[in-house]
Amino acid sequence: MGPGAREAVFAQLADAGRAEQVAQRLTDGIVLGVLGAGERLPSEPELARRFGVALITVREGLGILREAGLVETRRGREGGSFVVADDADHRSLISARLRGLAQVELSDMAVYFGAILAGIAERAAERASAGDAERLAGWLAAADFGTAASARTNQGGFFLEVAVLSQSARLVREQIRLQAEFGPLLLLGLDDDEQRADAAAHDRRIVRAVAAHRPAEAREAAGDLVRGLSVPLLAAKARVERGGALDEPVSA
Amino acid sequence: MSRSARDVAASVGAVFTGVFDQLAAWRAPVEHLIDGAPEVRPAALDTLVAELVLPRLTEPQPLLVGAGFIADGEIVRGRDVHFAWWLGPLDANPVLGSTTEPTRLDLTTRGYTEYLRDFRALEWYRIPATTSDAHVTGPYVDHLCTCDYILTMTMPVHAVHPAGGGAPGGTRMVGVIGADVSVRRLESELLAGFLDVTAPLALVNEEGRVVLSTEPALQVGQLADLDGAGEPCPGTPLRVLVDPAPSGSIRIIR
Repeated sequence: MGPGAREAVFAQLADAGRAEQVAQRLTDGIVLGVLGAGERLPSEPELARRFGVALITVREGLGILREAGLVETRRGREGGSFVVADDADHRSLISARLRGLAQVELSDMAVYFGAILAGIAERAAERASAGDAERLAGWLAAADFGTAASARTNQGGFFLEVAVLSQSARLVREQIRLQAEFGPLLLLGLDDDEQRADAAAHDRRIVRAVAAHRPAEAREAAGDLVRGLSVPLLAAKARVERGGALDEPVSA
Repeated sequence: MSRSARDVAASVGAVFTGVFDQLAAWRAPVEHLIDGAPEVRPAALDTLVAELVLPRLTEPQPLLVGAGFIADGEIVRGRDVHFAWWLGPLDANPVLGSTTEPTRLDLTTRGYTEYLRDFRALEWYRIPATTSDAHVTGPYVDHLCTCDYILTMTMPVHAVHPAGGGAPGGTRMVGVIGADVSVRRLESELLAGFLDVTAPLALVNEEGRVVLSTEPALQVGQLADLDGAGEPCPGTPLRVLVDPAPSGSIRIIR
């Protein structure tokens, strides 16, 4: 399995409000399960280097996470910042995150993510060799979509595996950047069994189209996949705005 | 217009031979260290590999973007797989940031661990393990380190001591020594030579994946038709195709 979804959490940041961005990136990774409970985050200097920010900015960002109860910092040889497990808290943080983004922003993110993924899938179908397609199929067959956390990690990994087959370094970089910015939110709907099964089925359609060198079908399947993921996201936004709970089932 | 496809193939071979000679020169002291003890301390291995590879990663216009030694767990104390791998200075890397100094590849995050759980099945390890010979993997987009379009050259490293099931007195593979070269950097070495030939040419790997092309209708990353034999590049699995065309075996259905 590729480390895409996870590595994306630590990808470079844009300029404004960097400590908040550090906190937001890590918060998204934690509340949506890409970073697991009990996991040790990279060291402060390592985070500074990877986010491309000063050490003090990282410390400030981690301070925000500590305040929010998402990480705890332990001292000593086996010390560091560790992800704290607390599902109830995480749900309220996701709700807050959804409230902070306008519906139009969420749906535009999904449009852009979908456009990039469709281009990636199309190129992968043109360029993958028989061996590449076989490896991708093997990768997906071994990927677990049984739990929300495993499905998120593997869905993120799948996006990256397909991007690699496009043979385009730019598309791979953009995929990593978009996953960092938007991946955990886009994959919010994978809490639901049926959504996980749907996403995996669309993934298999993409693999079949890539193996058969059918770029138009690969593009269509990628579009359907991202549209499918955007529906529960926007439904969750609507529920949160109505003052309801995040966990209520998606109404048809 | 004085050069032939064969000359160009020879110049490609020379670039890769240079890298393989470098890998062989690094391999000797690594094998010497490993043969000195049944188990090597990770720190001793890291120090040695850093001393060997860092000069090539920090020279002006380095050919290599990354290099090092990847040991399977048996020989390194307390490890399942041990990466002594360094990356040269990176520009605006989306995963690792921009760096002006070489960086050690950090494998402590879970994502890498899961990816590398099956590292023995990955091409850059598997082929040298099967053939006991050097191998060129790629071109491919390396999403682990450089986020760039690269070729990876690997060479098997052997140990003579019999621990771990090897025949007494025989040798067994304990890892690979390797280096990454970016396609962009390779192009800067080779493009002028390719353009010296009147006919369009493409440098391709074994499956026909294009590394460099002077045929605008056949671009880097595409698969070329391998029907024409082309000129093999000595000492590599690559070849130079004359009048190349996109793969006909892959019919694009729109």
